[in-house]
Amino acid sequence: MIYGIKQVVKYLTGMDHAERNLAVRPDDTFLASYPRSGNTWTRFLLANLLHPDERVSFLNIERLVPDTSSQSSRALKRIPSPRLIKTHHYFDHRYPRVIYIVRDPRDVALSYYHFQRKYRQIGDQYPLENYVQDFVQGRIGSRDWGTWAENVASWMATRAGQDSFLLLRYEDMIADTAQELARVATFLGVEVSRERVQEIIRLSSAARMRQLEQHQSDQWVATKNRRKDIPFVGAANSGGWKSLLPPVSAALIESAWGEGMTSVGYASSTQLARQSQLTR
Amino acid sequence: MIRRFLNLTRSLARPGVAGRTFKAMPDDTFLVSYPKSGNTWTRFLIANLLHPDHPVTLVTADRLIPGVDGHSQEHLDHLPRPRVIKSHYPFDPQYKRVIYIVRDPRDVVLSQYHYQRKRRVLPDDYPLESFVPRFIAGDVCPYGSWADNVCSWLATRMDDPGFLCFRYEDLKRDTELCVAKLARFLEVTPDLGLIRQAIERSSVKRMRELEKAEAHLWESTKDTRKDISFLRNATSGEWRGKLPPSCVEELESKWGDIMRNLGYSTSSEEAQHNSWLPHLTPLTGSVQ
Repeated sequence: MIYGIKQVVKYLTGMDHAERNLAVRPDDTFLASYPRSGNTWTRFLLANLLHPDERVSFLNIERLVPDTSSQSSRALKRIPSPRLIKTHHYFDHRYPRVIYIVRDPRDVALSYYHFQRKYRQIGDQYPLENYVQDFVQGRIGSRDWGTWAENVASWMATRAGQDSFLLLRYEDMIADTAQELARVATFLGVEVSRERVQEIIRLSSAARMRQLEQHQSDQWVATKNRRKDIPFVGAANSGGWKSLLPPVSAALIESAWGEGMTSVGYASSTQLARQSQLTR
Repeated sequence: MIRRFLNLTRSLARPGVAGRTFKAMPDDTFLVSYPKSGNTWTRFLIANLLHPDHPVTLVTADRLIPGVDGHSQEHLDHLPRPRVIKSHYPFDPQYKRVIYIVRDPRDVVLSQYHYQRKRRVLPDDYPLESFVPRFIAGDVCPYGSWADNVCSWLATRMDDPGFLCFRYEDLKRDTELCVAKLARFLEVTPDLGLIRQAIERSSVKRMRELEKAEAHLWESTKDTRKDISFLRNATSGEWRGKLPPSCVEELESKWGDIMRNLGYSTSSEEAQHNSWLPHLTPLTGSVQ
């Protein structure tokens, strides 16, 4: 009874977060990924793609590509169809169309470490090695994400290969943003000129997003009241783990999730070492 | 405005079920399957294993192993731990210990079809040929499609020590072995006498008798048609005689790769398979 009252009051005052209670519409498209996998960057790219008349920034991104975990059920109800909705949720069979971004979990771990320091969820002194253990065992983040491997496998095993599912690799997006953006445009049925693609990439560049973050971090739900000395927009590169992640931590991730990593094209440290020997 | 007020009063009076947003505890064990895959039978087996003092009935099984869709979060929060909880949902990372039952989708579709007639969701003359495409699309129940449900669990958890998976067909064929595995998973000493007693107390015959006596009390049968029983013939391979060939073909062309991964033979044996799914092999081992 008390639980029921709390739920109703939260809903009416818009204090809830939609999460799994989101009322899904048949023409919704979801931008899904594990956290720290390039979701915000892709959000900017797609908001610029779909809304050429808007000046996309952290101030309007929650209206243009709303987040299931920070927006209330009522706020999401007010977004006109067709909606593009951002989420970090593991597999939800109700999502009719899904763009799924996957990123090398060794880079995700690094990025997540700094993010959780920013959010004051771990202290600056917390060793990265311990953090990666938590990361692998799923002792971090929300109960709605699962581990990296669970999140990826739950989507890939159920949706890979279907017309309603588009898989993006963060590394491919870094390597050839224009090409990957064109794939998304086709998936969304949007026609876009080559010039406009370049413009969108410029408007969503890491440099520009960092600039926006500096001015708007107090007004964006994801950065408000968080530490200002660690930025939300991270290194925005791929392969940073090779120099920054302790080898023992990389090995831990690889031994836990090797199979899933290989399935989405991430080679293990030993495979990489062998390759570099061959090319030398 | 008035409608909103009515909705408000309704939600206050009935807080609703825990469902998909249920907050689990790390020591919970979940009994999970797609609907009509042998969940009720397994629930009986487990309840009789864990509570050997009295034979379990349909109503007490519901209390001993409650479902996330039958109770509120509040109610479930007040139950003694460790809990065993029934669920039909696709993968949920919060479920740390999971017993997952898979059943041949050709039998599942038949069973769901009859159950929906029993619940008057479908009229008697509703053609199976129209039901099968809806079953494939996942439109007939709120737990995704059969493939969504099975793949989401097996791809994420198959090698996890907290995950016990078996096929309904294995449970039928080698009940003692499966129940012994259940007992071990639930940390009950797999004593052969106890296992046999649990199986005896969960026999089709006994469960049918219970259905007759308790149909008007039990949540799943209350207010449903009495001429179609909840516990039907409880066999595997019924589809061979009952499912129209066109429906079999439709299911196999959509999910053949997954079915073959799970050890269900199909008329065509294409090599293609879902690389995210592990291969299920028949259970082996001894009861003791």
